Order: sequence, then C-alpha cells, then structure tokens
Amino acid sequence: MINDGDYVAVFNNVHRVMKAEKILKEKRLNILLIPAPRALKSDCGLAIRYCLADRPVIEALLGEAGLLPEEIYRKQGEEFIRIDAPGA
Amino acid sequence: MKTIDCRKMTCPMPVVTVKKALEESPGQALTVLLDDGPPRENVARFAVNRGFTIEETPLDDGYAILISGSAGEAIAIRKEKVGETVMLIASDMLGEGSEELGRLLLKNFVNTLVEVAETPDRMLFVNTGVFLTTEGSEVLEALEKLGNRGVEIASCGVCLDFFNLRDKLRSGTVTNMFTIAESLLKARSVIRL
Repeated sequence: MINDGDYVAVFNNVHRVMKAEKILKEKRLNILLIPAPRALKSDCGLAIRYCLADRPVIEALLGEAGLLPEEIYRKQGEEFIRIDAPGA
Repeated sequence: MKTIDCRKMTCPMPVVTVKKALEESPGQALTVLLDDGPPRENVARFAVNRGFTIEETPLDDGYAILISGSAGEAIAIRKEKVGETVMLIASDMLGEGSEELGRLLLKNFVNTLVEVAETPDRMLFVNTGVFLTTEGSEVLEALEKLGNRGVEIASCGVCLDFFNLRDKLRSGTVTNMFTIAESLLKARSVIRL
C-alpha cells in the first residue's frame, strides 16, 4: 500500500488519526488511512499515507488543527526514512 | 494447448482470468497474451508464487507468457480435498458499537490484508459490505492488489440493486445467492466479518 517516495504519518492515538483523516478528507486531499507498517512503532497501529506534492498542505492543515503526527517517514526502497521536523 | 488473450484488460482481470483458466484445466500448459507493464508483471508474479514455471516471449503487441508445471494439479487437489477459505463481508463495519470506529476498523482490516502473506481464496460482499467494492470506497486500491494475488472478489447482485450501486461496481464481479451459498457450504473455513 506504500509506494516508493510516499510519506507515512504515524499517529499514536486513534482519536487524533480519525480527526486528522476527517479534516484532510474534507479538503478532498488524496490521503489513505493505512495500517502503520510493522517496521514502525505505533501504539494505535494507524497511519496516513500521502505523496510529496500534497505534503506541504497536509502538514500545514494538521499543524493548524494541532494534529501534527508523532512521526513522519518517507518510503525509500525497502526502508522508511524518518523525516526530521514535520513541515520542514 | 490453450491460449487466452488478456490484452486490453484492466487489473486485476488478467490474474482473475488466468487463475480461472488454470483451475479449469489443471496440469495443462496455458499461453496468456498480455499487455506489457502491470498486467504482465502481475500475472508472472501470480504464476511464480503459485509454483508454476513461466516463459515470456515479446510480441509486436504485448507479451506471451507460457505457464506450465504441475502446480495446477496440486492446487486442484488441495482445493478439492482441503477446500477454500472464504471471507463473508456482510457489513461496512467491523464489530458493533461505534459506527465511525467500525468503518475505520473494516477499512484498516482490508488494507492490512494486503500486507499479510496469507490471503483468502474468495471475498464475498453482501448487504452494506458492497459499499466497499463500489465507487467512493476507500479500499479499492487494496482490493485491486488482492485481486492481483488471485483473491476472487464478488458482490451480491441483489445488494447492489438495493443500494442502486450496480453501475458503480469498481472491484470484482457480481454474484448471486446460489454462488454465495455454494461457496460458503464448500469452504474449508468461512470468516464472517
């Protein structure tokens, strides 16, 4: 479900991820709620997938709503690269 | 030797068609004509994963894949003796209680199936379960991936009609209660969601 170059925002709380999904869906952004990859630690096991082109607007919206994810990763080959600061 | 032309088919139909042909004629070699790209890759991966030998030949228009080996007989015997795993999805929610949480859980379950090595042989969608196979569903990408791995996806025709969704079906085929009943009765295990 995660293609090379995709971004994965990992949340540790089901209410936060549900709120985040709702906000992003209302803006008709191309996101997908996915199971957090096994390689990444997640308490609630949920993540949101999006692409590079949508990254600035998605992270800005989540920041405004106080819903920035705990961790953001980029899929690179078989690995997940931790992206330092959300919105950076 | 049988030849089937799967060119101009969109995924996952090439894999679905090849799977059906292999099951109908176990042990017989099969030549499949395919468009290059995902249809060719998906059918080749499907055949190799099931233990068949493949031989690819480029054509002016696409590729020919010769699928051979005894894996078909083994699959047919296993299917006859052991039976299939059938998943019955009878709702657009997983569990009872919060509808919002239930929808999230079912969506997450189907998306998780893609990441799991074991897959069901067949997924049957009835009642509000058909919301998952029709336009607007958030698991269409996952269902396409499962279809490419040989999972048969079928939606209840009466249910599609009831919700006026027959022309909005975006994954798998339309089925009827005879097929659903037979599938459930013949299955090795039925997983009801």
